[in-house]
Amino acid sequence: MMMTPAIILLIIFVIIPIVYGFYLSFHRWDGFNSPVFIGTRNYIRLIERDDVFLKAVTNTIIFAISVVLVKNVLGLFLALLVNQKIKGVIFFRTALFLPVTLSFVVIGLLWSWIYNPTFGLLNAGLELLGLDSLIRAWLSDQATALGAIITVDIWKWTGFHMVLFLAGLQSIPKDLYEVAIIDGAGAWTRLRRITLPLLAPVTFISVLLSLNGAFVRNFELVLRCTDGGPNHTTEVVLTHLVTQAFRFGKLGYASAMGFALFLVVAVIAFSYIRIGRSGAYNF
Amino acid sequence: MATAARQTNPDIFGDLFSKPLTDRLKLLLVYAILIVATVQTIYPLFWMVFGSLKTDADLFNNVWGPPRTMIWQNYVDAWRIADLGARIGNSIIITVLSLSVLLIVSSIAAYALARLQFPGRQAIFLIILATMMIPPEVTVIPLFIVVRTLGILNSRFGLVFVYAGTSMAFSIFLLRGFFMSIPPELEDAALVDGANRLQVFWHVVLPLARPGLATVAIFQGMFFWNEFFLAFIFIRQAELQTIPLGLVNFFYRYSADWTLYFAALSMVTIPVIVLYVAMQRWFIEGLTAGAVKS
Repeated sequence: MMMTPAIILLIIFVIIPIVYGFYLSFHRWDGFNSPVFIGTRNYIRLIERDDVFLKAVTNTIIFAISVVLVKNVLGLFLALLVNQKIKGVIFFRTALFLPVTLSFVVIGLLWSWIYNPTFGLLNAGLELLGLDSLIRAWLSDQATALGAIITVDIWKWTGFHMVLFLAGLQSIPKDLYEVAIIDGAGAWTRLRRITLPLLAPVTFISVLLSLNGAFVRNFELVLRCTDGGPNHTTEVVLTHLVTQAFRFGKLGYASAMGFALFLVVAVIAFSYIRIGRSGAYNF
Repeated sequence: MATAARQTNPDIFGDLFSKPLTDRLKLLLVYAILIVATVQTIYPLFWMVFGSLKTDADLFNNVWGPPRTMIWQNYVDAWRIADLGARIGNSIIITVLSLSVLLIVSSIAAYALARLQFPGRQAIFLIILATMMIPPEVTVIPLFIVVRTLGILNSRFGLVFVYAGTSMAFSIFLLRGFFMSIPPELEDAALVDGANRLQVFWHVVLPLARPGLATVAIFQGMFFWNEFFLAFIFIRQAELQTIPLGLVNFFYRYSADWTLYFAALSMVTIPVIVLYVAMQRWFIEGLTAGAVKS
């Protein structure tokens, strides 16, 4: 009874689209004529004949590994710093979290200007430092475009992970550290033996959120910065999917791509949750 | 890091002059790192505001510095050309309505999942978990057909239900964790006194779950306010557009009017920053409460 409104909304706006999308993934469909059943040909084509898709998968994986690693390591490091009782710590916490509140439209526009070759902050800064040899068009240079986008994503989200880790740090009882100090444990030992083990539940959530985000929340950022270019060097699965669906009208093919992505994310997430469960964390 | 040791030294200046050299150096290092991190985080935003007040020539020749003369007219022009007033109104209406629908519906459902025994409870929860991993880009084509069939395409109302529906799973997942952490004894007492489940939920549980509701409101409020892709698909009429849509349109329509873009961007960003700074305790505590409980 109490579930009814939620279930109705979920069925209409989530379940039906998913089921219908799954159905479409076995069809050829341009959005106007009726869908033609073609079996698993969309999926086969995806793996055997779409080089851009393979490139997009590689880029998505590179993106995911980099952002998950850097956001969490940097987030934990900053959390350890702002967990200390020093002057101005609230200011640092507030400032470092700020980019989390801004939209990808704002951030994408802002950073494509920072990387802009003629009036961009980055090139002007390099010039000031005398590093002229490094000056380039960061987002249209094939060698740097993906790295530049990864940097923006890290810039936006590190503060978020810092705050998660900070909450974890503050829930660790202080007397544990006092006892450890009396026992002669150094800072490094305390970090390894007390902080990291007791932080495991928060680390689990933090990594899970960044992992999920890295696969399924990168579309708007890439769209704003490069739209997959130059020459597909920043193409991720979601940008390729949207291009196929909305620019070329291959709706069935795009659906197949979506489910292939979902399958990969689901396998990664559920095996991660399973490992987490057997370890330190329980749902 | 010497976390615990530092906690006994609250005064940085005291630290600097009375502690042994290594500790002072450590403290200086901590500040140096924090300052570098903070500058790289917020300087781009200052740069955006600087750019919004510059002339074109100033923007290109004086990249890093503040404006030489303040061109407030940029703001007037950008506000008028980008039609920001209407867009801000749309964003407020859509965010508030989506949040209301989402909070009411998902909190009741999450409570049922956390407390009541009914057949299929575990299955429903697992389905909800799985749907969280499907991005809107994947289901947007069939979702478009559903919305068109319901006749709510191109309306604020339609986008509100799309937002509430697609955020339902995450919100239920988070709130369920909160409700499970509230001791059931409180509710049992009220039930014995003759209150029904819905009354217990309203008068006993919801007030206790306020941090959880705040978490959802902040998370999802930021998401609705900032969302571009779904709004782009479901809203085509210019007068119904939200801020992100308006900004992107503005950006593509007038090529290379950089100072005006900076002004438009500043106008939509500064209020968000002010709101966030004023409520930063809520933001940070809300998010951390959500992370620890769910």
